[in-house]
Amino acid sequence: MTQFSDERGGELRELFFETAQELLQSLNEDALKLEKTPSDREIIRSIRRTVHTLKGDSAAAGFRELSELAHAIEDALAVETHGDDVSLAELGFVAADTFAAMLVAYRENGALPDASPLKSMVDRLASGPKKSKAHGNKKASTEADPEIVWTEYERLAAANARADRKKVFHIVAHIHPLCAMPVAARQLVTNALASVAQILGLRPEAAAIAETKRIDLLVATSQSDALLISKCEIPTVIKKAECKVLATAEPEIKEEQSTVEAPAAETVRETSHTEAESAGQTPRGHADTTLRVDAERIDNVLNLVGELIIGKSMLQQTMQEFAARFPKDALRARFSDAMAFQARVLNDLQRSVMKIRMVPVEQLFRRFPRIVRDTAQRCGKEVNLEITGQDTDLDKGLLDAIAEPLTHIVRNAISHGLENAADRARAGKPATGKLRLNAYHQANQLIVEVSDDGRGVDTAKIKAKALQAGIVSAAEAEKMSVQELLELVFRPGFSTADEITEISGRGVGLDVVRSVLHRLKGTVELDTRPGEGTKFRLKLPLTLAIIKALLFRIEQRLYAIPLNTVAEIARAREGDLHRVDAWEVLQLRGEVLPLMRMGQRPAEGMDNPQTKIFVLVIHFGGRKWGLIVDALDGEEELVIKALDDQTVATDLVSGASILGDGRVVLIMNLASVVARFTGGRESSPAGAFPPSTGRAMPEVRQ
Amino acid sequence: MNGKPVRVLVVDDSALMRKLIPQILQTDNSIEVVGTAIDGNFGLKKIEELRPQVVTLDLEMPGMGGLDMLKEIMRRHRIPVIVVSSHSTNSATATLKALSLGAFDFVAKPADVSSRMQEITRELIAKIKAAAHSRGVQIHSQMDLPTPATTQKSKAAVAREPSKVIAIGISTGGPQSLQYLLSQFPGDFPGSIVVVQHMPDGFTEMFARRLDESCALNVKEAQSGDLLLAGRVLVCPGNRHMKVKKLPLGDIAILSDDPPVNGHRPSADVMFKSVAEEFGEQAIGVLMTGMGEDGANGLGMIKASGGLTIAQGEQSCVVFGMPKAAIERGNVMRVVELDALAATLQAQCGKHRRQAKAAGQD
Repeated sequence: MTQFSDERGGELRELFFETAQELLQSLNEDALKLEKTPSDREIIRSIRRTVHTLKGDSAAAGFRELSELAHAIEDALAVETHGDDVSLAELGFVAADTFAAMLVAYRENGALPDASPLKSMVDRLASGPKKSKAHGNKKASTEADPEIVWTEYERLAAANARADRKKVFHIVAHIHPLCAMPVAARQLVTNALASVAQILGLRPEAAAIAETKRIDLLVATSQSDALLISKCEIPTVIKKAECKVLATAEPEIKEEQSTVEAPAAETVRETSHTEAESAGQTPRGHADTTLRVDAERIDNVLNLVGELIIGKSMLQQTMQEFAARFPKDALRARFSDAMAFQARVLNDLQRSVMKIRMVPVEQLFRRFPRIVRDTAQRCGKEVNLEITGQDTDLDKGLLDAIAEPLTHIVRNAISHGLENAADRARAGKPATGKLRLNAYHQANQLIVEVSDDGRGVDTAKIKAKALQAGIVSAAEAEKMSVQELLELVFRPGFSTADEITEISGRGVGLDVVRSVLHRLKGTVELDTRPGEGTKFRLKLPLTLAIIKALLFRIEQRLYAIPLNTVAEIARAREGDLHRVDAWEVLQLRGEVLPLMRMGQRPAEGMDNPQTKIFVLVIHFGGRKWGLIVDALDGEEELVIKALDDQTVATDLVSGASILGDGRVVLIMNLASVVARFTGGRESSPAGAFPPSTGRAMPEVRQ
Repeated sequence: MNGKPVRVLVVDDSALMRKLIPQILQTDNSIEVVGTAIDGNFGLKKIEELRPQVVTLDLEMPGMGGLDMLKEIMRRHRIPVIVVSSHSTNSATATLKALSLGAFDFVAKPADVSSRMQEITRELIAKIKAAAHSRGVQIHSQMDLPTPATTQKSKAAVAREPSKVIAIGISTGGPQSLQYLLSQFPGDFPGSIVVVQHMPDGFTEMFARRLDESCALNVKEAQSGDLLLAGRVLVCPGNRHMKVKKLPLGDIAILSDDPPVNGHRPSADVMFKSVAEEFGEQAIGVLMTGMGEDGANGLGMIKASGGLTIAQGEQSCVVFGMPKAAIERGNVMRVVELDALAATLQAQCGKHRRQAKAAGQD
């Protein structure tokens, strides 16, 4: 009937990994809340519900270990009174971490992590008040010697035998290790005893005997126990037999039954009651009506919208030709009405589709309370995290991509930026450090800021480190502005940490942050005031899919760069350019601008100093550059199409787009272009030119 | 079962389940999942909007939980609801509560759900179809239930041998109907009752406890060797079969792990057969509401060995499947509606009370 194909199973697992992340996130959040208000039942219930869902989901996806662990936690949490020795918040954190590690292991088919710390916490929790063990096999004692429960009928028989003035014994016969057939042993013992006693009960039953090591018998007899034992101890069959008088604590079957069951039933009823109550009044944040759609599908729609826009342009051009050919035709007006309408709808459509991809930054920010808590704890610092602007929207793809860099920056801020309590006191600051995450939109960009009120970055220290690491020469360092010195921290191999800690400062870090941001067509900047704090500012385009771009030509080819990187457009003549070392420069209002010439330099002698050129002044890497282009071609919203490696064998171009008239425009990857010109080391311009002063960074806080 | 597909709404707070359940349901052409909802509030809105014929419901949800939503559905819409429940103590409690509130039936997700997907799919699809074609939900809410004849259980009552052994086979709609039926018997009811209720492992213990709380009879989940006593109800545990046996000192229930019969374990046929063999004309077989035909043949054996056979009438059945099958095979001697059933059984048990033996026991 239902065939669950591998493909379907895989899809299910993918969905599971995704939803499980969200569940773990809410687990983390609840644990954080619980840490603040440890006895809030509502939060505990919410945790239990989350674990419950995780249990069901992981079972459906076939991840049994995770499901069982979640089940154990759920059951432990269902008990309303817990032992005080286990912090539920801590349990939440450990559970979230263990589950996360298990998810990674499942995803990568790796070995499952050690869950024993979590298990022991759950065990301690579950074994809190004893009476809480409401369900399950309460009679199966945990001792090595399992207790036999005689059935009602057997107990009735025992009671009758006693009434007949017989003794009732429980005999345990241990089977000899050499005896290969327990079933035969059972038969022999029964036969031996039958002559001296009446056998009322016998365990194990025939079906379960293969693995057994012992035989339990309930017998009624008028003989002594010594005789019974001697009858039982058959050489090489029974190693040893024990005989105990069966306790007579069960005169009335019914009574016994009800006293054992009653209190258990009581506890269960209680939990079910509170559960029903809680179900009605537990808003977990605002209920979201989220529809889960593959990002790929949305991209597909976006692509099609892109095609439509191209189609529209084609239609418009055709219309113009039609108008030129039949200027008097009455159809013209109707065509253009229809065109205008279509254009408007298309515009709305494009915007709507774009919006689908946008998610609030909150989705990213919500992870940080936990990260900050853990990092602060490990560094032995007290940190208060303040989050603002979480409603700001950002493209989902970008959001995912900046998670890592942002985490790094936050950890960095706590371990290096903020001082410990003693140092803070000395500096006259409150003991608790302040860390702030903020996000806002600015000119079609998203800005994410991480600021702390710590000690700030010491530029002298940077200089010393950079010299020591051989990143810059002494001569270069002398010429560098404060801003340029700060820029050094983003260089590979740079770390100011005096000691390398587990949390940050392994020498990889900020350079990786920067390279990720560049890949995303964004930037990262650093602003600091000694003694007052540091602010990292990440700037990102709102979406990767559509950009506002400036189009220009170089040697008849059409290129584009993101409009927001362009500070200004300068006009110049070839004669205005100067050469300093290997660089062409342009003096622009007292500032010396290093130039990048994309095309061929006019051959010697052929160059006309009067030839007009355009210089695009761009901001990049904390300074300005000039890009020499032949002609400008206007600005346009471009739907970016990714280029696969087979199509383009250079990293100088990051994508392409198709214009309305069918022309293809290549989108330049500024990071690679700059890297190419500076030979990857970026040192030459700094050494060759006077620093471009702080003005190059208008956003820097004054 | 022809014509338009059954319109189903899936309510579950797990995104995974909201994807998985529609996926498995849509393997059957006669079911159409018209929508999904993340909690009770949205679920109720979607019911107004989409008018589903059947709702599958998760009980553990934030916001408006499953039980509250169920109450609303029962109050306002009376759409059959199938609870999708998982394996935990809490879930069992909540699931049984849901059944007593009027849920049509439930499907349990076992721990190894991924490897038993086909089985569960089949069960869910069958239950949805049965729900869609049932004649609305019969609700015996707490208030409709008669107060148990004697609220105080006769704890001190001495174990007595029963006058008759009543074997009840019941499936979909069972929990409510049984609760209704059993609560009408007095504590000194002379018959002994054995019940096979189709229900998975892990639910029957709680189920028996709930029944015990709500009626004067002594209800417990059966263990092997338990005595069939007057005024006692033994409920067969999930995933096991129950047979009965006459022994010198009394009559007992025996549980076994034999393979499922008619796709069921416990199976009413297995119990009926053994009741017929052991008790003959002292046996009364009752086949009540439920899908399928489990018990229909076994009832014939009770009839053949001189016992009385009763089928619940169509009017009061949530699903008139098993009783119908038995009636069609000529195995039913009487058809009795639910509200008259307790009286009928009392009359039958009172008549042939084995006075001599009962006295001897005392």
